[in-house]
Amino acid sequence: MKTSKPNSWIFCVAACVTIAVALSGRLSGQTAALKPSDGSSGSGTQWSLQVERIDPGHLELAHSFQVAIYENLLEELNKTKRFKYVLREGDSKASEIPDLLILKTTVVKYTPGNETQRAVTTVSGATKLTVRSQLVTSDGRIVLESTVNGNVYFFGSNLRATHNLARNIAKAIKQSNMAMVQASYRDTQPPTLNARGTQ
Amino acid sequence: MYCLFARNDKSGCFGRHALISLWTLLLCSGIGALAQSAAPPLNANAPFSIRATHVLGLPNTKNNCNGMLSIQNNALRFQKCGNPDAQVNIASVHALFLGEESKQVGGLPMKLGKAAAPYGGGRVVSLFAHKKYDTLTLDYVDSDGGVHGAIFEVTKGQGELVKNELVALGVSSSPGEDQPTKQSISEVAHEDK
Repeated sequence: MKTSKPNSWIFCVAACVTIAVALSGRLSGQTAALKPSDGSSGSGTQWSLQVERIDPGHLELAHSFQVAIYENLLEELNKTKRFKYVLREGDSKASEIPDLLILKTTVVKYTPGNETQRAVTTVSGATKLTVRSQLVTSDGRIVLESTVNGNVYFFGSNLRATHNLARNIAKAIKQSNMAMVQASYRDTQPPTLNARGTQ
Repeated sequence: MYCLFARNDKSGCFGRHALISLWTLLLCSGIGALAQSAAPPLNANAPFSIRATHVLGLPNTKNNCNGMLSIQNNALRFQKCGNPDAQVNIASVHALFLGEESKQVGGLPMKLGKAAAPYGGGRVVSLFAHKKYDTLTLDYVDSDGGVHGAIFEVTKGQGELVKNELVALGVSSSPGEDQPTKQSISEVAHEDK
């Protein structure tokens, strides 16, 4: 009987270590997969981006969520280093920048969550956000369109969903080749990405 | 006890004493109440200041850091202990939204403790280890006209105080208050416009 408890503890620790190693491997795999696209921005022109405020559509999305998505988007898009300038809505400098894309984000679906419910039940209380993001040129042509999700299933506050969403939008834009964006700018046919940001 | 009994013997005297004591008590409490009501005008010039957590949005300030949120010289200041304060000119604040949220307390140590608790004991702890707070969302513009947003968490009930202070200084509070993110049964969906 005495040996069964230590054995179970060893088993638990081993399981935790295995999960941690597996997750870290998966994350490093993701970053490794993203790395080649960093240098392949294609054409010589480097675009700048202006992020518009979040359009909640007809949904009752708390204003704090809208602001959190907007601010997180600016932060995550700056981190991608794909754009020469990442500007805010209303920035007067935007009129002086020639190659400017505008990022429009509309909330398509929103499921309010509850952190306590998540902590107690594990399986319910998730916060889910789905948005449609459009990259639009200054003359109003859509060059990239994608539907992106941001969810919190287990750990973290409800606002964590906005961070995940912004990161996924930035990832989707980063994975789309900017040369392709430029080509579609010429052809006026927007490439459409699915929810995971892949074509 | 002896004193009480002694006084009970002379009931008339005791009644007079009791009346005087009661009158004195009422007088003292009346003076106290007057002093309390007179206190706010004396502190009216003192800067408004409360403890708050900066969730995101202020320039050069870490996310999710605790500090003091104050209103001084027509500016909203957030100061983290030891750091230079970040400030937003109140004239640049376009809108103010007040919301309500609930979160689990204790941070990572608590999470680990709950995970390690046997027989699902952690879930029971989670039932009680949550706290409601107010969220204060500000929309403001920078010198270039760029739109910014900042979110603060304050103790429940204090959000209203900050809102009143800012509204008194000319900030427009939105007609539709920030909707609390309640748990709803049905999933809200908005199809393509």
